[in-house]
Amino acid sequence: MNRHILLLMPSIIIVLAIGIVPTICAVNYSLQNPFTEVNTFVGLEHFRKVFLDYRFADALQRNMIFSAICLAIEIPLGMALALILYERTKINSIISLIITIPVLIPPITVGLLWRLMVRDTGPITVLLKNFFNLNFVPYQNPTQAFATIVAMDVWHWTPLVCLVVSAGLAGMDRSPVLSARTEGATRWQIFRRIELPAISFPLVFISLLRLIDTLKIYDEPTVIFAGGPGLTTEFISLYIRKVAIDQFVVGYGAALSLIYNFIILLLCYLLLIVMTKGRGLM
Amino acid sequence: MNYVSKISKIILLIVAIFVFTFPLYYMIVVSLSTKSTIESGSLLPDLYFGNFISVTEGMWAETIVHSLIITVLSVIFTLLITFPAAYVFSRYHFMADKHLFFWFLTNRMCPPVALLLPYLIIWRSIGIWDTIPGIVFAYFIFNIPIGVWLFTSFMANIPKEIDEQAFIDGFSLWQYFRKIFIPASMPAIGVVSFFTWFFTWSEMFFASVLTSFNSKTLNALLFVTLGRVGYGVQYDLASAAGVITIIPGLLLLYWARTYLAKGFTFGRV
Repeated sequence: MNRHILLLMPSIIIVLAIGIVPTICAVNYSLQNPFTEVNTFVGLEHFRKVFLDYRFADALQRNMIFSAICLAIEIPLGMALALILYERTKINSIISLIITIPVLIPPITVGLLWRLMVRDTGPITVLLKNFFNLNFVPYQNPTQAFATIVAMDVWHWTPLVCLVVSAGLAGMDRSPVLSARTEGATRWQIFRRIELPAISFPLVFISLLRLIDTLKIYDEPTVIFAGGPGLTTEFISLYIRKVAIDQFVVGYGAALSLIYNFIILLLCYLLLIVMTKGRGLM
Repeated sequence: MNYVSKISKIILLIVAIFVFTFPLYYMIVVSLSTKSTIESGSLLPDLYFGNFISVTEGMWAETIVHSLIITVLSVIFTLLITFPAAYVFSRYHFMADKHLFFWFLTNRMCPPVALLLPYLIIWRSIGIWDTIPGIVFAYFIFNIPIGVWLFTSFMANIPKEIDEQAFIDGFSLWQYFRKIFIPASMPAIGVVSFFTWFFTWSEMFFASVLTSFNSKTLNALLFVTLGRVGYGVQYDLASAAGVITIIPGLLLLYWARTYLAKGFTFGRV
């Protein structure tokens, strides 16, 4: 047994070194003003400032609205697709292969794809302008910019929801559905009483995962609008990066990072409770 | 009824093909066009290969080489480090094993930006900033948890009786690994390699801060190229580079789709 613990050591040591040590450093930085001319210990002053920071509050609120909208579209849509594509026919497997494509595209390239589409002479802009008579100017109109990012996220991640739900459906016992059908149950009843309980675990799991991922979003919105027009599509990661890395305000940036990390950690714990079916770590 | 469902399926197929492949098609068109064609917003390429020639020489070629080296090193080291660790997790119970296991996951889920500032400062002070080992080391924060979780979920399905029989037969741990356990885990090794490769190859955030010249990755350079919103962006070169970033993923699409749900949910679904 003891020698087996040795097999565990490399991974533990490395993750300690790059997971815990930087967090301790961040705590240390957040209590002072490092890398400035007069470095003083300021206690919890930075954390107090975070709660008064309108730009952070805006980014947080915007990010939460964004997550809510994305989940509200992606989860039902992905689930519907998985149910439509359930039977293993040829046409279904072609469809599911094609809709898998976006998942395998790096996020930065997804940002690029959509930026090409919505730039002034891009196909989406031309289509909306000429055929729907819509004045589509996402680089000037915040609502349109936000909608574009939502559309991009839906395009990118709905297929993953579909795949995960399909995996859940594939492991499901099919006989209750068949007997319910002979008993004359409606499609909705079958879904509500048999299929939904069977896929509840993958569904809750992927919802939480998508929630965490949308709260961490960085690559796509940065590449496509860089937080613009103005600051209207600035999400949490974008704001923290501007403060901590680009402007190199270390003390305050570290405080922001820690609070952000804490929010995600709470969500991770929720994910854990789901994974262990409520038993937690005990 | 059957007719209706078949026709609606065909319509769905056409919509799916259009929606999910058109953006890709358009990027390929842009990558094969000259600057003036791109400006006009044409939907047909002029089959101009100059952009691809440009992104396979000079600075772009260097970043592609860096990206390849970084991904290959990440895959090799992640396999070497996580395979034994997952073996222990899947076979033994010890104090706080579940806490430890969950702690790995929290590192995977941690927002990159929360770690980036300390990384930047530490990496600079110990001199591994902008080196290939430095960025590979930073990526361990994602790769090790993924590897451990995926391997463990696969290994749970390899019966423990095999271990016991082998040890009764007098195999050493190394012999057992080499002759029985590694061959039995081959599919898992494939899946972990794929996801380590995929997440490393796709990553841009760490690379854009922790690499600058000597180890700049393709994604980081693409990010710089796209840095300015609006006019004056080299869409031609960016699209050609974008096409290069998606090639490895699409080549493995058919094989990978079986495992995608597993890979993104750490083997839980």
